Amino acid sequence: MISSDVIRGYNDTIILSLLLEGDSYGYEISKNIRAVTDEQYVMKETTLYSAFSRLEKNGYIESYYGEETQGKRRTYFRITQSGMTYYKEKCEEWGLTKKVINKFVKELKDSGDH
Amino acid sequence: METIKSYLENMFRNLPQTEEIQRLRNELFLNMEEKYHELKKEGKLDNEAVGIVISEFGNIDELLEEMNIGTIDNRDVYPTINLEEAKEFILLKSKTSYLVGLGVGLILFGVSLLILLTQLAEDDLIFRTLSSNAKYTLPVIFLFLLIVPAVGLFIYSGTKLERFKFIDEGVFSLASAAKVVLNKELSHVSSKQSFGTIIGVCICVLSPVAIFIGSLFGDSFSAYGVCVLLIMIAIAVFIFISTGGVSEAYKKLLKIDGFDPERQKENKVIGAVAGVVWPMAVCIFLFCGFVFNLWRISWIIFPITGVLFGGFSACYSIIKSK
Repeated sequence: MISSDVIRGYNDTIILSLLLEGDSYGYEISKNIRAVTDEQYVMKETTLYSAFSRLEKNGYIESYYGEETQGKRRTYFRITQSGMTYYKEKCEEWGLTKKVINKFVKELKDSGDH
Repeated sequence: METIKSYLENMFRNLPQTEEIQRLRNELFLNMEEKYHELKKEGKLDNEAVGIVISEFGNIDELLEEMNIGTIDNRDVYPTINLEEAKEFILLKSKTSYLVGLGVGLILFGVSLLILLTQLAEDDLIFRTLSSNAKYTLPVIFLFLLIVPAVGLFIYSGTKLERFKFIDEGVFSLASAAKVVLNKELSHVSSKQSFGTIIGVCICVLSPVAIFIGSLFGDSFSAYGVCVLLIMIAIAVFIFISTGGVSEAYKKLLKIDGFDPERQKENKVIGAVAGVVWPMAVCIFLFCGFVFNLWRISWIIFPITGVLFGGFSACYSIIKSK
């Protein structure tokens, strides 16, 4: 399992990407993260909800009460326009980050071969 | 499922009960519930499912920080105690209360021995060759020989617990996870303590019977009865202190049952009065013994002080709580 320290800066991006596919609620999102990553990354409950809180505060997502099912009423989240813009920015940032980090990772690998 | 519910309940115990928090808590519960049911469907055992759900909960402080929620007790000001430290404190407390109980028991046993030897000397059964002065001084020496190791035990326990003084003073906050575990264990510990208390009280109630039986056989036998009574009380006190220590440690850590900050102040006043009253009782006991040679009866000062002091602290608590 991936260390949460490394991935922290991209938790918001992960959640936004899942919300792009449609509105969702807490457990469904955490289940999807687990499924997409083949259980290599499990987001803790509190990490997920602090991300929701942060994203909502910044206006990137909106929450609303869903339909009541089996006497349970869940909070659903929806991505906003500015959330989509933010998501794109983060994707570009990651492209750049990946390039930069890869340079160092590769060099290290090369020097190890000699 | 109950475990998950109480886990979450404990996590939220110290938080202000606002609508926002209620909603968050409900949301988290629904998620955990759904995860639990899915794990069960996958064929996980109940324990496994609960374990996974709780281990994937994360750290509540992370969430609170993001949401700008402070807990009711100022967790930033006080040092936080985690489960490991709490366990260490409990273990040490159980050891030291055993030693303190032993020390108090030794002193009571010493007083009993003093009365026994004095009575035997008076009945000319021992120390026959000694002068009358030595006859009455020698038993006192035995008492002091027992007080010395007892005081040693008290000091040893005191220095061992010095590190955890801040827990006694209540200036700490308990980590949420530790709180959950301790709360769960508390009921087991309390029932153990009440069992000890029942046995101790039974011994105390039965102890005067020794005097009644003794007095049937004459005056000097009633003194021997007092010896038996004191030994029984020594055993009872040992049980009270050694079993009470562990549950006291739990209650101090959880700040319940007289260890919440409000009651803590009250205890300080009572403690201060106790600090004056009990040494005074010891002085009167020794004075009457040495000066008037009243060793046989002067011990009565202790139960009298005990009853009066108990009355005082009860009255003080009642007046204060009003």
